[in-house]
Amino acid sequence: MELTIVKNATCTFCGCVCDDIELHADGERITHTKAACVLGTSWFKNHTAERLYPDALIDGQPASVEDAIQAAADHLYQADMPLVYGLSNVTCETQREAVALAELIGGVIDSHTSL
Amino acid sequence: MGGKVSCTLGEVKNRADLIIYWGGNPAECHPRHFTKYTLTQKGRYIPNGRKDRTMVLVDIRETPSAKAADIFLQVRPAKDFEVITVLRALIKGHAVDPELAAETGLSMEQLQDLADRMKKARFGVLFFGMGLSMTRGKHMNSAALLTLAAELNAYTKFVAMPMRGHGNVTGGDVIMRWTTGYPFGVSLSRGYPRFNPGEFSTIDLLIRGDCDAALILGADPGATMPQPAIDHLARIPTIVLDPKVTHTSRLARVHFTTAATGISAPGTVYRMDEIPLPLRPALKSPYPTDEEIVHRIYQAVAAKPPLPPAVMLSQATM
Amino acid sequence: MLRITGGKVYDPANGINGEIREICICDGRIVPEVEGGRTIDATGMVIFPGGVDVHTHVAGAALNFARAMIPEDHRRNQPFVRTQVRRGGIGGATPTTYVTGYLYAGLGYTTVNEAAVPVLSARHTHEELRDTPIVDKACCVLMANNEILLDLLEAGEKEKAQHVAAWNIWSAKAYGVKAVNPGGITAWKWGKDAKSLNDPIPGYKTITPRQIIKGLADIVDSLGLPHPLHLHCNNLGAPGNCTTTLETMKLLEGNRAHLAHLQYHAYGGDDWFTMRSEAARIAEEFNANPNLTTDAGAVLFGNTVTITADGPWQHLLYKLTGHKWGNLDVENETGCGVVPYTYKEKNLVNAVQWAVGLELLLLIKDPWRIFLTTDHPNGAAFWRYPEIIHLLMNADFRREQLKRLAPKALKRIYLPELNREYTLYEIAIITSAGPARALGLPHKGHLGVGADADVAIYNESKDIPHMFAYPRYVIKAGEVVIEEGEIRKTVEGKGILVQPSYDQKVESYIRPLFQQYYTMSFDNYPVEMERIEHPDLRPCKQPRA
Repeated sequence: MELTIVKNATCTFCGCVCDDIELHADGERITHTKAACVLGTSWFKNHTAERLYPDALIDGQPASVEDAIQAAADHLYQADMPLVYGLSNVTCETQREAVALAELIGGVIDSHTSL
Repeated sequence: MGGKVSCTLGEVKNRADLIIYWGGNPAECHPRHFTKYTLTQKGRYIPNGRKDRTMVLVDIRETPSAKAADIFLQVRPAKDFEVITVLRALIKGHAVDPELAAETGLSMEQLQDLADRMKKARFGVLFFGMGLSMTRGKHMNSAALLTLAAELNAYTKFVAMPMRGHGNVTGGDVIMRWTTGYPFGVSLSRGYPRFNPGEFSTIDLLIRGDCDAALILGADPGATMPQPAIDHLARIPTIVLDPKVTHTSRLARVHFTTAATGISAPGTVYRMDEIPLPLRPALKSPYPTDEEIVHRIYQAVAAKPPLPPAVMLSQATM
Repeated sequence: MLRITGGKVYDPANGINGEIREICICDGRIVPEVEGGRTIDATGMVIFPGGVDVHTHVAGAALNFARAMIPEDHRRNQPFVRTQVRRGGIGGATPTTYVTGYLYAGLGYTTVNEAAVPVLSARHTHEELRDTPIVDKACCVLMANNEILLDLLEAGEKEKAQHVAAWNIWSAKAYGVKAVNPGGITAWKWGKDAKSLNDPIPGYKTITPRQIIKGLADIVDSLGLPHPLHLHCNNLGAPGNCTTTLETMKLLEGNRAHLAHLQYHAYGGDDWFTMRSEAARIAEEFNANPNLTTDAGAVLFGNTVTITADGPWQHLLYKLTGHKWGNLDVENETGCGVVPYTYKEKNLVNAVQWAVGLELLLLIKDPWRIFLTTDHPNGAAFWRYPEIIHLLMNADFRREQLKRLAPKALKRIYLPELNREYTLYEIAIITSAGPARALGLPHKGHLGVGADADVAIYNESKDIPHMFAYPRYVIKAGEVVIEEGEIRKTVEGKGILVQPSYDQKVESYIRPLFQQYYTMSFDNYPVEMERIEHPDLRPCKQPRA
């Protein structure tokens, strides 16, 4: 596997969001980090590009992404008071989409801040 | 009263000669905070780095962060508010009853010394952690500390900043503010944003059993929330997006495996001081991103017959 | 394709004053004629070029900080309920981004200039602007307290400073340069201020606001930016500050400049008890300086929130009012303060402020040089512009309003003596044609062939506030977005920016300083071009040698 080196990568483990990390990756996993702290290093090394889990699960059974999208949409559409919650370890682009979805389904949207 | 007097972390790096951490343990929870942003960095007006700064740690127990501090002040549990109140009084030169002060676990000498240091600092900063903001009287504690920092500006330059914990929790606040006007706990059930912590905050909603479906992303409440809240998530259709199969995934009706933020998913995140930073993923994930999944769910819902406007529903029941 | 017939056209840039003319639109532009397509019968209506706001605060870290601070304001204003064509949201003093687009379009405004962007959080500003629909958006990057730049100006290295400035503009993906309280925010980082042009700046040996202003004005002119230096003068809001403003105007002889929200810089008196209007002196000097443009920064009575990069002023306002206070100093670049505020008729200071904004609009003779703004949301929310138009067009109504002020205030102001009434033609200048020209946008603010097809159509009416608050049609880039007062379509606006030329080697000068002073990676600092939605890259004039 070819080694890729990414400089000035951003670590999203804690609120420091350090953006000076160097990552060495072999295509499947991050093999080496520079400048990251112990928490950041284990965060980067813990997530690989391997296919360790099914794409999706419906009622605990492996399912296609498309079927799961339909199932999720059905549940949210039918609900009177759906909740969208979390928003911590996701990108801002995802958060924007989440607000749009919460508005569409007439739900509540909330984050870790409320804890 | 109220508000927040703050700055970006570079201001602390360049100027702060008094750094106070209150109710937090950065050495273990934000390991590079000292070395990248605050304590050991040399700054534009801090030519000698650590030597030019004084660090105070205020906490209820001696954590590993105490080793980095010049002064460690051990406060009695749940007495933070009282300490802050005494400091506000001392700073303004008001008399303080020593017996009341004694309840805080600190001596009058310690309190007076801290008040003096705060007033004499050229640029002081108060970082406050979850030990202050998530214990009894949490928002009262935070508000009191923010007021202390604001009031110190009558004497010198002083700022305060929360030590935000999770990855992009700050981004969540920022985006909810520009899209809904409020930072968290927003109900869109009437088609426009309403904000009411306690009514629309997740744990309260779940424990009361108010919601009848849940979409969880960038969080694992199944591992962290009180049991009655988890029980309700298991009762209702719960949908989870996560790079791994989590505690919450196991009780969910639908789980999506997604690319990991910043590792295999691109985008933007906000630092605790609300500086936006780009992500540079090093891996290509076999899974779609959270952004893509949420967008596709949006499209799938939008393709269904429109839900009646919520306002009409509420009028119909009146 | 679209044809608008039968309406009275007010197109001051082309000298058209209320003539009945046909407007034809194809592919988002005004064209000489079209065949087929929709026809709008505008008989009994007046047609303006789409409004252009030269100075407003609608996106970015500072405004978003304010949103968090005033939930009480969100609640007391009208909410926006989601429909099939528009997002839900909040109105009020700090509308949510989607609602900002709807409210501007709902007034007939189609272009806005976000007036204060730090490079460090420019990425945030652009993310919000992307979520602000319908209107086209430019922004000005904050430069007058940028310490890397100040170091160069102090050292007299003007040429290098110019390259650094140009690099910053491009990094922020900005359109113009903003100077807020030059040197004063830097001083605020140590709890001080710079009130006069000759004040020393803590942390610096010799530099003063005078050198910063002159230096930046020269740089902007040399770079040939379409919009001149956009200057928020020193000593904003303080009694007696007119002397600083007059000196600043003198200093700018030989440069182009736009003086932002002049109302806040035109006071006499020695303290809050003796504060009075100096609009006449300011207007007289301004009239004699054709190199300058300005905007009113007018105040209307009621609740709002003040937001400015001027940190020391906000600390003072907090001490004066005891209101909530938000402050956010931005490393090496700027600051920001937020204080909720209520302008009251019976408050002497507020009454003077209200009068000064109108006086400047009435006493400055050339409507091509003063534009309608409230420095949104500082003086009032932008959606209250029709109230100001009413006050400008009707002297009797103004006199009625004067009765609501504290009688003492009448001796401190010039307004009771002013009889000028704006015509529709002049309103079209101060809301559209003038600001478009000052911004250097030749395709905006007029209805000539080739212009962007941004058009506002109002029912002609004696009820001026109603007429301007509820346009009958608003057309953005050829699309009918508002009809009968309702949003029919939400198009996306453009991001307007410039790429001034600079020596690429300047990066190797900035990089080590950046690593020393900042806390993020240098390579992550510039905003990526992909983040600008529908970019409209405007040319700079040939740089002056």
